[in-house]
Parts: sequence; C-alpha cells; structure tokens
Amino acid sequence: MVGLVDEFEFFLEKEWSDGLPVVIPTEERIERMLTGTRRDPYELIGTIPPAMGEATVRSVAIHAVMAGCKPEFLPVVIGGLALMLREEFNLNGVQGTMHGVAPLMIVNGPHAGRIGLHGGNGCFGPGFRANASIGRAIRLMLMNLGCGIAGVASATIFGSPIRYTACITENRERSPWESLAVSRGYAPEDNVITCAMVESPRLCFDDTSREPRRLLTGIADSMTAMGSWNMHTRSDMVVAMSPEHACICANAGISRADVHRMLCEMAGRKVRDLRGGGNWRRERALALPIKVDPDDDDCFVPAIKDPRDLHLIVAGGWGPCTAVCHGWAGHTRAVHGIYEV
Amino acid sequence: MCSVHDTVEFEKRGIPATVIITEAFKKTAVFQFRAKGMEGHRYVQLPHPVSSLTREAMREVTLRYVDQLVRQLTA
Amino acid sequence: MRNGLGFVDPTLAAGKSKVELAARPADLAGKVVGLLDNRKEQADVILQTVGDVLRARYDVARVVIRRKEHHSKPATGALIDEMAREVNVAIAALGG
Repeated sequence: MVGLVDEFEFFLEKEWSDGLPVVIPTEERIERMLTGTRRDPYELIGTIPPAMGEATVRSVAIHAVMAGCKPEFLPVVIGGLALMLREEFNLNGVQGTMHGVAPLMIVNGPHAGRIGLHGGNGCFGPGFRANASIGRAIRLMLMNLGCGIAGVASATIFGSPIRYTACITENRERSPWESLAVSRGYAPEDNVITCAMVESPRLCFDDTSREPRRLLTGIADSMTAMGSWNMHTRSDMVVAMSPEHACICANAGISRADVHRMLCEMAGRKVRDLRGGGNWRRERALALPIKVDPDDDDCFVPAIKDPRDLHLIVAGGWGPCTAVCHGWAGHTRAVHGIYEV
Repeated sequence: MCSVHDTVEFEKRGIPATVIITEAFKKTAVFQFRAKGMEGHRYVQLPHPVSSLTREAMREVTLRYVDQLVRQLTA
Repeated sequence: MRNGLGFVDPTLAAGKSKVELAARPADLAGKVVGLLDNRKEQADVILQTVGDVLRARYDVARVVIRRKEHHSKPATGALIDEMAREVNVAIAALGG
C-alpha cells in the first residue's frame, strides 16, 4: 500500500474498471512498457469515441501496464487500436450499441508467435497472458478513454464475455492451409492484425462427419439463427475451424478458398424459416445489399452477403469443433493491416 | 449515439435542435450531451416499446409528443 | 494525471468546452423545419407524423426531411451544413 491509499481499491472503484484488479501503473512500469516500441510516447494514435479521449503511445502504454502486458505486446495493442479507429470500423457505433459485440483481433505473422500469442487449445478462454492482456488493454481504453461503459455511454443489454478480452492467433502448427492474412495477399512474414466486430463464439460440435460437405453443412447451420443479425443485415462473421475439422476438408483436397466459398453458399435460411421469429422485418430484407424477395417463402437469404465479410481461420486445439462468431447490425466493416513491431 | 451528435452539430451552427430517443438509450443520450459540451440538453423520450409497434400505433404514440418537441425548439 | 500517490491515474478528465444553445424562436409559424432520419426502424413514421402535425397545427412554412447513411454513424458535416442553410429548427430521430 502507498500511504493510506489502497491502490488496488483505487482502480477497482473506477467507473471504467472491468471489475478485475489492474497492475498499478507506476512511472517505472510505464517507462519499461515504452521500451516495447520505438514510437514517440507523445505520438497521438487517435481519439476513442464517444468521449474522444486521446490515445497517445504513452496512454496506450499505461493501459497495457494495467492490463498485464509485457513490453513486447505493446506494438500489437497500438496496432490493434489504430485499426479500430478507422472510420469504416465504426467504433463509435459499437461503443453505444445495445448489442454485445466486441472488436476481435486476429493476429497473424511471426511476431505473434514470438510474444506467445496462443492459437491452440483454449485460445478463446483464460490462461494465455498475451491473449488475455492485449485484448484487455484494448477494452480498458474503450471504457476509460472512450467511455464505452454499460449504463453510461453504452446501451449494451448483456455485454458479453468477449468484452473482457478478444485477441487470438491461428494454430499455424496444425493448420493445413495458409493464414487469414496470407489468404488476403499479405506475405507470410508480415505482421498483420484483422479486427472484426463479433459476438462471443458459439461452438459447433461435429464428431460424426468424415466427409466435408456434411461437416460444412453443420458449420453453416451454426452461421444462421432467427436472432442473428447476420440474417437481417450485412454483417461480419468469424469462423474458426479446429485443425481437425480443417483437415477433414484439406485431406479431401479442398482448399481454404473452397471452404470459404462453400460456407458463403451454404449458410443461410429460406424466408419461411426466418419470418416466424427473431429480427425478421420485411423492410430489413428489402434493405439488404443483395436481392431478397421477402414475399417468396422459398427465397434463400444467405448469412454472408459479401465474401469479404467471412473471416475463416484455423484455431483451437485438436478436436471436432468449430467456433462461430456472429456479427453486428451496425454499419461496420472488418479492418486489417500490417502493424509496426 | 449519433443522433445526439447531429443535434449538437445543428446547435453549433445556430439551429435550435432536439432529438427523439427510446428508453434504452436514455443514459447514452445524457452522457453524449455531456461529453459534447451540452450537458442538460433536452430530448424527447418515447415510451417503451417502440420497435415492435405497428406503424399506425407508432403514429398514435408520436402524436402525443409533438407539443414537447415544439416546446424544446421554441423560447 | 500525476498525484501524490506514487502511481499514475489515467482516468479521462471530464469536461469539454461548453456549446451554447442556439437562440430559440418564439414559435414555429412560418419556419422551415428540418427532420433528420437516421434510418433506424420507426424513424421514418415518427418523423412523417411530426411533419404532418407541424404543418397542420403549428403553421410551419415547410418541412425538409433528409436521411442519413446509417443510424450508427453521425451525419456528415456536409449534410448538416446543407440542412443548416435551409432550415430554422431541426429534429433528429431515432436515437436508439
């Protein structure tokens, strides 16, 4: 304790606390964190909506300290935040929405491995410092500098577990395919972050399929729901196939691009299976960027309206499961770019 | 919540403005006005529910709030 | 941010420069009213209704309705400027 102030209580009582203790940001810890970047501490990365608090390299470092990051994680935090502040990502909308989506960071490239970012067993869950602390640093900034606080600037109904932290990498050791970044044209040695506004993953188990089409049928089913905004707007979606599921396809000679295309074609529901519940509205169907006839019960409404909105990765441990993260209803487009190490 | 932003932008340009909101966004609206330097700015809050009403029912509800809108836009 | 406590408090400082309320007219008679529709469900019927009543009972000269790109994004500066040139008062809907 410092003097009469319990520093842990000091931060736990903050309106922007995520409810967990932070690493106390002393000047010494901040200086040590700043050794993780060559950038000027007073360089402005941007302002975080809706409160428009300034995120300088130094203030990012302070939140990285609090979140439990090591200095070598700092470039990923800075890079992720910079991407999230791009206009097309619409961070402002997500900070206030009733939904519970969060900016999920998918980190590709060699730096991810060097800092221990985890893409294998349990990658969406607790236990991995880089995953946990990088995502948490982002969330602390969204809450403090942006004031995306439930019941204050945020009308979020439930929030969601993915709002504690949301940062993973792929399972490159066991993936039969190229990474998400390479599939987009980046070089394997590029350090790339993809950010997409998505919900917590829902888990699609299939320990029965040996044949790709049956496997993808089940996964495609998990990509749809009456209550999923993906069915009623243009929305991003992340599909994380376990290495086992990916290999069922790869061993049958199916490429990543083929799986991507097949999921886009297969995931969806007919109008008759949508209009009886959930968020279906005729006007929403008519406002879609693709042709849908809301008066034709047999009309197929795909979950993915634009192939760029499906972010297919291979992650998780070996086992018969694929994780599907549904998207948001707002005007957001996933962003990706190289980050400076 | 962007309608609050838009309202403030009108005020900055000398155009009296107000915003119609739903109950779920009340706290967000209050925060947004404060964050944009217009703490205490008035707004019109429609009663719950809104999104599930028929268009005719929505018209009926709205009719009850026009007076309030006018009071917020006039001296 | 610095204090006598031995650590840094990065809490965002409250307070922004104040924006003054625009002067209100005595009434809306003869005024041009701008209605900004953010495309949220029900915004169109709400604003249509408001426009109808303002014309019928408040003697407004004209009602101008504009639609934003999407409810989760603020209106562009250009749109607000365009409306500000044309209208005397404005109503935005639907915040939600």
